[in-house]
Amino acid sequence: MPPEAIELLVIAAAALVFAVAFAPQAASRRTLLVRGGAGLAGSAAIAAVPTLDVALLVLLMLGVLHAAVAGTRSFATRLRPPVIAVGMLALGLLLVRVEAPDLVARFGAVGLVAGLAASIGLLPYLHPIEPDEALTASPVAWLGFIGPVLAVVVVVRAQGALPTDAGGAFGGMLVGLGLLNMAWGGVAAWLTADEVAAWRYSFVADWGLVLCGFGLTVADGQRGALLVLFSILAGRLPLYLISRQAIREKTTTRRPINLVVAAALAGSAPFVGFGARILLLRASTQIYWPLALVLAVVMLLWLPGSLRLGRSLGQPRRRQALGVALILAVNVAAGLYPLPLLAAARL
Amino acid sequence: MIQPAAGIVVWLGVSLVVVADGRRGQAVGIALSALGLAVLAFVTAGAVAAAAIAAGGAIAGARRFVSGPAGWEILSPGSTPRLVLCIVTALVAFWVADAVTSGPVASVRFAVITAITLSAARVLSTAEPAAQLSAVAVVAIGVASAGAIGSTDPAVWPYLAGGVVAAIVGWLPLRSPSAA
Repeated sequence: MPPEAIELLVIAAAALVFAVAFAPQAASRRTLLVRGGAGLAGSAAIAAVPTLDVALLVLLMLGVLHAAVAGTRSFATRLRPPVIAVGMLALGLLLVRVEAPDLVARFGAVGLVAGLAASIGLLPYLHPIEPDEALTASPVAWLGFIGPVLAVVVVVRAQGALPTDAGGAFGGMLVGLGLLNMAWGGVAAWLTADEVAAWRYSFVADWGLVLCGFGLTVADGQRGALLVLFSILAGRLPLYLISRQAIREKTTTRRPINLVVAAALAGSAPFVGFGARILLLRASTQIYWPLALVLAVVMLLWLPGSLRLGRSLGQPRRRQALGVALILAVNVAAGLYPLPLLAAARL
Repeated sequence: MIQPAAGIVVWLGVSLVVVADGRRGQAVGIALSALGLAVLAFVTAGAVAAAAIAAGGAIAGARRFVSGPAGWEILSPGSTPRLVLCIVTALVAFWVADAVTSGPVASVRFAVITAITLSAARVLSTAEPAAQLSAVAVVAIGVASAGAIGSTDPAVWPYLAGGVVAAIVGWLPLRSPSAA
């Protein structure tokens, strides 16, 4: 099992405990625990199985189970993305493994990248979203909970299977797709009309950073990607969960806490997102310095969207306020001293 | 001659899943796909792998035989594009398996490409849960069979996992969309 996947599983388990403990009263804790537990077990199985083929079958089963739970979208709508993802990943893997010219392995790399994007719900395979849908039945379950472990497993195992030439193409495509998701997600989180959609696009933008980090095949890139995945699981996902009640009540506030949350979501110092961005910029300067320039410009797009999302949190009270304080403290701690996180993943 | 024949049986089976709207047509399609892939699994990975694929396909086919829209409903009005898709996919898969790629298991490559591509297309093209779950069962045994490609001694785990997934998916209780 890749050490990054083990670490992310532990963080996902902690995020689930947090969700059950600090969920708004409107959310059913039992439902969160049961569905979240199933998702966590599926993620653990994806990481633990011996081959990527079996991991794809676990992903297929998880996709069918997720489509079968009660939600506002139809079964057919929710089943399509995971099945298409598994199909593209399997065909990509097949083309990588066969005896064929190098070009065929490059097509295989295309299938792997496209399948990865489809499984998580990134551009160009955004899953349809309904504002009223429960968190566990919505596409955010893939973006914020199952996706991190799945992405690490697919990328690590795919990089092991790809020949050198196709491996370079795989990394280049991840960087390109990452930039697209960063730009689109950043602008859409700022300008889209619906608050739930804005949160979803903010996840997409964060995933853009992750893909860039995975694509930059140097240690700092992998470190940056891991820290962004940490910030998704331990920052953005729990903050989104807490904000759902205020979104439902259409409450927005402009208090200091909203500004601090916006800073955390935008990846400013001293939160963990800042360190991740510094590592990604350093990695891109090692590979191709103009890329760092592009990344720096695109990273500015987080600001307006994050201010909006910070306001959408409303004014958390009692248990929710404690939860927000805990999230911010964990993100500051990881931002100031990320070494234990990186060491646990052997990065 | 057994391997090419098994590959064609897989294509026939998955094409039936694509062009049939009734439960009987889909059940026979799943059974044919599983039969072809089980024969190929027997050749490449042994009896246990073949048994896992056959059992998974048989359970999925049996479940489909008793649930879903009644009848055969093969090539119902409006299914011409699906028929064309099946034929074009077979031609492209044959070209990729035989001419673009090389190696000892061309039939497995052909069978896996047709099974996964056509089943995924079926999931995209219909909103009927029974048809989608039939296609998912074929995707599962297709993905499991892909483990034999590029390996001289394929492990049995993917076949067992594929058989289990194919057997389970048809039994899941489905709920209608509702407000949160």
